[in-house]
Amino acid sequence: MAELALRTPTLDKDRVLQWLQKYGVYAGVAVLLVVNIAITPHFLSAENFRTQAVQVAPVIIVALGMALVIGTEGVDLSVGAVMALSASVVALYLGYGLLPALLVVALFAAGVGLANGALVAFIGVQPIVATLALMVGGRGLALVLLPQLEDLRNPTLASLGSGDVLGFPYLILVAAVLALIVAFVVRRTTFGRQLLAIGDSRPAAQLAGLPVRRVLIIVYVVSALLAAVAGVLATARLQASDPTSLGNLMELSAITAVVVGGTPLTGGRVNIAGTVAGAVLIQLLTATLIKHDLPPSWTQIAQAVVIVAAVYAARGRGKR
Amino acid sequence: MQRTTHRRSLARPVAVSLAAAVVLTATSCAKSEDDAAGGNSSATAAGAEQKVASPAPGSKTCTVEAYGAEKIDLKSATVGFSQSEKEANPFRIAETQSIKDEAKKRGVKLLTANAQSQFSKQISDVQDLLAKGADLLVIAPLNSDGWDPVLQAAAAKKVPIVTIDRKINATACKDYVSFIASDFVEQGKRAADQMIEATGGKGEVAILLGAAGNNVTTERTKGFKDRIAEKAPELKVVFEQTGDFAREKGQQVTEQLIQSNPNIKGIYAENDEMGLGAVAALKGAGKKPGDIKIVTVDGTRNAVQGIVDGWISGVIESNPRFGPLAFQTLDTFTQGEEVAQDIVIEDGAYTKDNAKSDLGKAY
Amino acid sequence: MPEEVLAVRGLGKTFPGVRALDGVDLTLHAGEVHALIGENGAGKSTLIKLLTGVYRPDEGTIVFEGREVSFATPLEAQKAGISTIYQEVNLIPLLSVARNLFLGREPRNRFGVLDMARMNREAEETLATYGVRVDVRRPLRTLGVGAQQMVALARAVATDARIVIMDEPTSSLEPREVETLFSVIRRLRDAGIAVVYVSHRLDELYAVCSTVTVLRDGRRVHHGTLAELDRLQLVSTMLGRDLGEVRTEGLTKFTGDHSAATDEPVLEAKELTAKHQLHGVSVSIRPGEVVGLGGLLGSGRTETAKAIAGALPLGSGSVTVAGVPLRAGSTPAAIRAGISLLPEDRKSEGIVPGLSVRENIALAVLPRLSRFGLVSEVKVDSIVDTFIKRLRIKASSPQQKVGELSGGNQQKVLLARWLAMNPKVLLLDEPTRGIDVGAKAEVQKLVDELAADGLGVLLISSDLEELIEGSDRVVVLKDGAVVGELSGDDVTEDNLMRAIAGSDNLQGVAADG
Repeated sequence: MAELALRTPTLDKDRVLQWLQKYGVYAGVAVLLVVNIAITPHFLSAENFRTQAVQVAPVIIVALGMALVIGTEGVDLSVGAVMALSASVVALYLGYGLLPALLVVALFAAGVGLANGALVAFIGVQPIVATLALMVGGRGLALVLLPQLEDLRNPTLASLGSGDVLGFPYLILVAAVLALIVAFVVRRTTFGRQLLAIGDSRPAAQLAGLPVRRVLIIVYVVSALLAAVAGVLATARLQASDPTSLGNLMELSAITAVVVGGTPLTGGRVNIAGTVAGAVLIQLLTATLIKHDLPPSWTQIAQAVVIVAAVYAARGRGKR
Repeated sequence: MQRTTHRRSLARPVAVSLAAAVVLTATSCAKSEDDAAGGNSSATAAGAEQKVASPAPGSKTCTVEAYGAEKIDLKSATVGFSQSEKEANPFRIAETQSIKDEAKKRGVKLLTANAQSQFSKQISDVQDLLAKGADLLVIAPLNSDGWDPVLQAAAAKKVPIVTIDRKINATACKDYVSFIASDFVEQGKRAADQMIEATGGKGEVAILLGAAGNNVTTERTKGFKDRIAEKAPELKVVFEQTGDFAREKGQQVTEQLIQSNPNIKGIYAENDEMGLGAVAALKGAGKKPGDIKIVTVDGTRNAVQGIVDGWISGVIESNPRFGPLAFQTLDTFTQGEEVAQDIVIEDGAYTKDNAKSDLGKAY
Repeated sequence: MPEEVLAVRGLGKTFPGVRALDGVDLTLHAGEVHALIGENGAGKSTLIKLLTGVYRPDEGTIVFEGREVSFATPLEAQKAGISTIYQEVNLIPLLSVARNLFLGREPRNRFGVLDMARMNREAEETLATYGVRVDVRRPLRTLGVGAQQMVALARAVATDARIVIMDEPTSSLEPREVETLFSVIRRLRDAGIAVVYVSHRLDELYAVCSTVTVLRDGRRVHHGTLAELDRLQLVSTMLGRDLGEVRTEGLTKFTGDHSAATDEPVLEAKELTAKHQLHGVSVSIRPGEVVGLGGLLGSGRTETAKAIAGALPLGSGSVTVAGVPLRAGSTPAAIRAGISLLPEDRKSEGIVPGLSVRENIALAVLPRLSRFGLVSEVKVDSIVDTFIKRLRIKASSPQQKVGELSGGNQQKVLLARWLAMNPKVLLLDEPTRGIDVGAKAEVQKLVDELAADGLGVLLISSDLEELIEGSDRVVVLKDGAVVGELSGDDVTEDNLMRAIAGSDNLQGVAADG
């Protein structure tokens, strides 16, 4: 029958797409590694891998929170602003010591997350709109608190940004530990499963008696806290607080990492390993183009191509 | 709808004399590189008030009659100042402060507004300033285009406009009086001179570009490359990547650069922040001060301190202190004398010879 | 006989797996108000969509004003003279009332520019004839829903419509607005326009319609003059039951009564009230009792169940479970108290389609299987195993996505989700709709067993057989209020249909209007 004749090739194509969606990001990372080792001078060196790891760590950390938010069929545009805000707050309170400063950062971040979560969970504002407000307002507040870049001279903070354990920079260790924790939360906790159920079908989750509002609020708070961690680490690495430009466009990098990593924007599924690989993929792509001194606009085009490919592979595999 | 624009249709002044009145202090025209690169510190005068590098004799000027405004006494006038970007970087902070200080010094009433990097806000800011009774306007434009509504409103009220640091696309002495700014191409050239001196004119260098699509970026790049091609053909620009005028981006790009191009001799950063980002990257990679020569543009305190510490070889100043010159221009103009249409200021420079002593002058 | 405006012959439409419409005829004359009725899935909306160019028919012809037509888009149909007014007003909320009224045919002055003054003046005049007096320059959304509907109607008529199709036009109207609507419909009728009126409210049909077409399972089962049919006959035609036929033996898997009449009720819902939906509904269920909730679509059955489960904001009323009052409007509170709801819309409100059978079964009970927020996979596996076996859920593995299962198995997964909670009360809203015969029997048998185990069950079903044989008692709803209750031997199809139809000559039925 005509229908059958049509079916067979479609199935093959589907299988290819499925494979791409599951493993495409890892394949992409592998290809970029091989290509770079072949054509980029001095790529195969400990220093180089260290550089890539240190640069990608903040993106990974932000993307972890973003993955959770996207898992609930939401999005958090305020992460870049939270990074800037945490940079400002660290600079302001570093005088009281690093630990108190970090506590205040956590308070501010939690406040932003609560505001986002409350807007989404209680008022029913679309996540993209709710977090857009704080994307703009958060950076504004950061600049009110600290109107310009300030150099930070705190040895503990500095060592946090540049130190390492057995050759592994703190930054990437923190990112790795956080990734493991988030993956564990998604797979093994009540919260993780409720989050996925809410993302897949909020009405069903509601009627099943799940604490929908609480879960949503926690997810946005976690996203903001992770962005704050990334902001502090980036600030530590720079040894300066730069609320004007720190975290600029971070929301886009994070969303790209999540989507390229195989987490659908339609919610209900979260792929943490894929998210980490997605962030690494974009880092390697950027590094490749920079190292070969290709025009900066190419980086953006290349990222766009990767996103389109990821979305294409995810086509029709989200919610039905 | 019929447009009701009453543009002044007066003849342009033909007679042109040197606009001496505008010139605060007579200086030699375009400074020689030698002066900038290592001359005596008093001559480079980094961080001091702005000085005029041009107009050269014969450049166009403007008068109250030609512009169609009326003579007023600046002391009793209200001046409106519209700032483009948030005062979140040293340049804008120093710029606004300088305008405020000069107004205070002259006892002129000043109204200020900040467009927070939104052009639509800047348009309404200026309209607000006009509505609040500004007799004269100083504008630091965010964009070059799109100023028609404001220019019409100002024309209707016969309010003269001086723009600073960025030009607007309109007719001088008709839509606005004068434009006061640095010559960014010249800054690039002078940075190249510093780079040639620091590297000995040989080897590979990299450029950390400013934000894409920004005229400051294009002009500082053009000046640098032109001068290198002309004076030191053995110096090769092998790497050009954007650092978006931001420190973190400058750091990240430099980290990639020094691994893929370990032979790099020098880095030209098109602003201080990217240069300081490069310094952070070099520190992180275990380099020592002076291993890679860094030349930057702007003249912020942190960058000048970088020279003192040995990390940075030279900083070309881009002087943000527009206050004295802008008010002097307005004063001269409103008294009925001639002012130049294009006033290019002379920027100073910092090197290891004057960095320590002039650190206090950096902004 | 007035002129024939529309003649539909042998219209058919098949969707994958469903014969949505099968050889349906429909004739409309000028000035005729024609009721189109049928239960869910009877084919009403398919018919409307075929008439208005949303779908193309697979077979059959549509002759409109003497010409055979085939509309490619709704816009074409509208231009030809067939206008549709949907439940949801399909106008542009931010434009002014006048702009909406004249959308696409705005008056222009001789320079081709919008003549706003003329448009506003004419809009005011037009709307006044519909009993709507508003500032026509205001955005449409600032008007009440009723007024918006009038604007939609006025617009439909003003576009030189020959046929106006109204799909549930009164569902969000106040009684006063309904009256205005009726008078407008009568004016349309007098102006020679044919009206197709779709509604589940029998009173409305008898108030404005002269003729009727009844659809059931995609076929036309009756057509003629409405006055020839009394309400009881109308309902029985619609539901497909013969009046004379009194069944003694059931076809369902339900058996006998379970309740001990002396028991205290496990659930008592009193005077549940929700705007537009419920007007003081009271229901009580004793342990082991299956209480049926009867009534037509839109009578408030689903709303009652949702209100009890805390999923519908209540104006007033109370719910107590085993004597303990519930916090109103909280689903988690209702669930903690032992209430479980299997919603009517299984696909969008019941299952979580992207998650596995295992996760779906464990979803509600998860906190009880966790310590410090960590899920005990062992406990989950054991519960999931138990219920997959007990309910005979057919899935390739517990890891299979629920979205890929058949309807019957999805329903069983939902039942398992709730049974894992050890509920006291089970609210089943159309538990066997859309599932195959075998699974249907299994689900019915299961409900029986659960009641026998002492659960209180509220059963909502449009399947009269299921309702009659499954229930010990049937509470009948109409327009959001209880209109009767049948129990014991009075639970017969005949009585039930009378109660649903709202006839006065009921025996053994306590009708309260």
